[in-house]
Amino acid sequence: MKELAGRLTALDPDAGAAVQVIGYFDRLAESRAGLEALVRGAAVLAGCPARLVDAERRVRVRVEADGTRRDSESPPDPSWPSFALTPGGASALWLERTAEAAPSVVDAVILERAAGVVRLVLDRTRGRVPADDPELVETLLDATAPEQARLHAARRLGLDVADPATRARVVAPLDRPPRVVVAPRDTGTCGGGRPVSVAPHPDGGPQPAPAHPQPLPTDTELPAGRLGIGPAVPVLDLPRSWAAARTALRFTADGTAQDPGERIVYADALGGIVLLADLVAPGAEPPPDVHDLEAAAANAPWLLATLNAVAATPSLRAAATEINVHHSTLQDRLTHAESLLGWPVRTPQGRLRLQLALTMRHLARP
Amino acid sequence: MTSVPPPFDPELAAALELIKEFISPGMSPEDIEEIRRGPMILQSMQMDLTLDGAFDIEDREVAGPVGEPAVTLLIGRPTAPATTGPLPVIYHVHGGGMVLGDRRVGVTGALEYARELDAVVVSVEYRLAPEHPHPAPIEDVYAGLLWTAEHAKEIGGDPERIIVMGASAGGGLCAALALLTRDRGGPRPIGQLLLCPMLDDRNDTPSAHQMAGVGVWDRTANETGWTALLGDRRGGPDVSPYAAPARAEDLTGLPPAFLDVGSAETFRDEVVTYASRLWQAGGVAELHVWPGGFHGFDGFAPQAALSQAARAAHLAWLRRLLGS
Repeated sequence: MKELAGRLTALDPDAGAAVQVIGYFDRLAESRAGLEALVRGAAVLAGCPARLVDAERRVRVRVEADGTRRDSESPPDPSWPSFALTPGGASALWLERTAEAAPSVVDAVILERAAGVVRLVLDRTRGRVPADDPELVETLLDATAPEQARLHAARRLGLDVADPATRARVVAPLDRPPRVVVAPRDTGTCGGGRPVSVAPHPDGGPQPAPAHPQPLPTDTELPAGRLGIGPAVPVLDLPRSWAAARTALRFTADGTAQDPGERIVYADALGGIVLLADLVAPGAEPPPDVHDLEAAAANAPWLLATLNAVAATPSLRAAATEINVHHSTLQDRLTHAESLLGWPVRTPQGRLRLQLALTMRHLARP
Repeated sequence: MTSVPPPFDPELAAALELIKEFISPGMSPEDIEEIRRGPMILQSMQMDLTLDGAFDIEDREVAGPVGEPAVTLLIGRPTAPATTGPLPVIYHVHGGGMVLGDRRVGVTGALEYARELDAVVVSVEYRLAPEHPHPAPIEDVYAGLLWTAEHAKEIGGDPERIIVMGASAGGGLCAALALLTRDRGGPRPIGQLLLCPMLDDRNDTPSAHQMAGVGVWDRTANETGWTALLGDRRGGPDVSPYAAPARAEDLTGLPPAFLDVGSAETFRDEVVTYASRLWQAGGVAELHVWPGGFHGFDGFAPQAALSQAARAAHLAWLRRLLGS
């Protein structure tokens, strides 16, 4: 029977071709084909050379129409049809079509489908480049958007929606659009749904080892500034992760002397403390203990950083080290603070009251 | 006996998705006529066999088996041979399950190798089953080889350097041809290139069962092909090795063989067994089992990485055989 069906050749630009293109790349994605196979698919179906250039990740693959790999160092011609892998990024898939060729719908479908799978493979194998399309993220996080639209957005953002084990979480920065990051499939030693930390974990426990080969966001990949991080959830539950991330964001602080506290807070790590978020409305009249804190801080510039160190470290000795003062200096400061506040901070109950006051101070911000 | 089939190679799985409209795993006797008239066969008639002018192509009618009709040979001669003197000859036998195809089907593969090797190609058209059951096909193939050996100089070929090559049913016929020339003392090819060859009419190996309904040329199609060739004798005790080479008891004294097959096809186990038996008989054989390959994958999807590797292996073996 060999060859009786004829050879796989470039597609005719008719109505059926787009369906075939979609089927071809879906199948490659299902069987986890590599980059070269995807670029080859684009070249063979288009009937002209195709190339993938991802400058950031130093990936260069060029395949000719007959399927042979022949890389090139020369830059792509800007007049060739292309599909960007990242919005405005230097990474794209190109079809080496001469300028005279009329734009073709089949070319556009080939580029779009191939680039979508290429992005999945790059993210799976080379780590994620933080450049999400804000509109796609918005759709993905909109619980009222149709499921199909959200799944499509997820796919375009590089999430493997075909795999029911895929988990992602939302990162909510203070004054920028949210980001979606893939959560590791296997969290190794930490088990049970606990988040894999990408920054010092608020509960101070041992840091789990990064899991492979899932792309892990790293510290350098996370945006600067205050971040609330939602729980890892299935793709369609991401609106919930986003809500939790925004709540977690309210618990964060700038980490400065005037606003001491954690810059990054995981929703997962809050536990029952999260209930406070509903009790203290942003911008509303703060509870009396927060008033007392603000009044005392106005009299002593060192007060907030000192009290935060006491609340956040396991011992006074550790607190003194944290803020870089002598142990006796710390004791003097705390005596002064207790007189300003009118309640103790060194007893177990007083320490809890202090922790709550500091937390509510963050929550009460407008 | 049935078990989960091995997965297809990712690129080949995607290619199969693309051609699924034109090809289905099975084939019943009723399908033969329709497939013969279908687009698959027609496509081979439109191919440029000169490979952009690298070959002169001619058809010749030559003497068939004694008392039988003439046989048509397609002859491809390099238009600008790089070497002087007689050239090696690739004697090509097309595939098609013993029931389909003609001398043009698959011959581009032979021509592409011949272009690399500076060789002449002869492709034989043989009568097809079920209209012409065994031994018509193999006798036509034998008659074509006789003519080629006797008239090699006429077509610029070297009768001492004939390699037989075929895929699928063509591979089976080439293996049978090697047995037949050995037993009749006919022209002796210097090598047999057996690509996913169809060797065993019993159609009962683990891979035949495992791949039922999957990929290309499954157990049902195979039964259709063999039954067309052998009728009621298929699978019985009385099948000639010149019809089904797997039936040969003596595999000694054969020319060096190259065999290959996909891991995900009906023929996998019979090809591996045939290669093993060649070694056990003291023969020379090279065997490749391409992981995730379906039947005829390098012809259907020549651009795939696995197809490129397979063709490179064929060519490397041919070069070693010819000492070039």
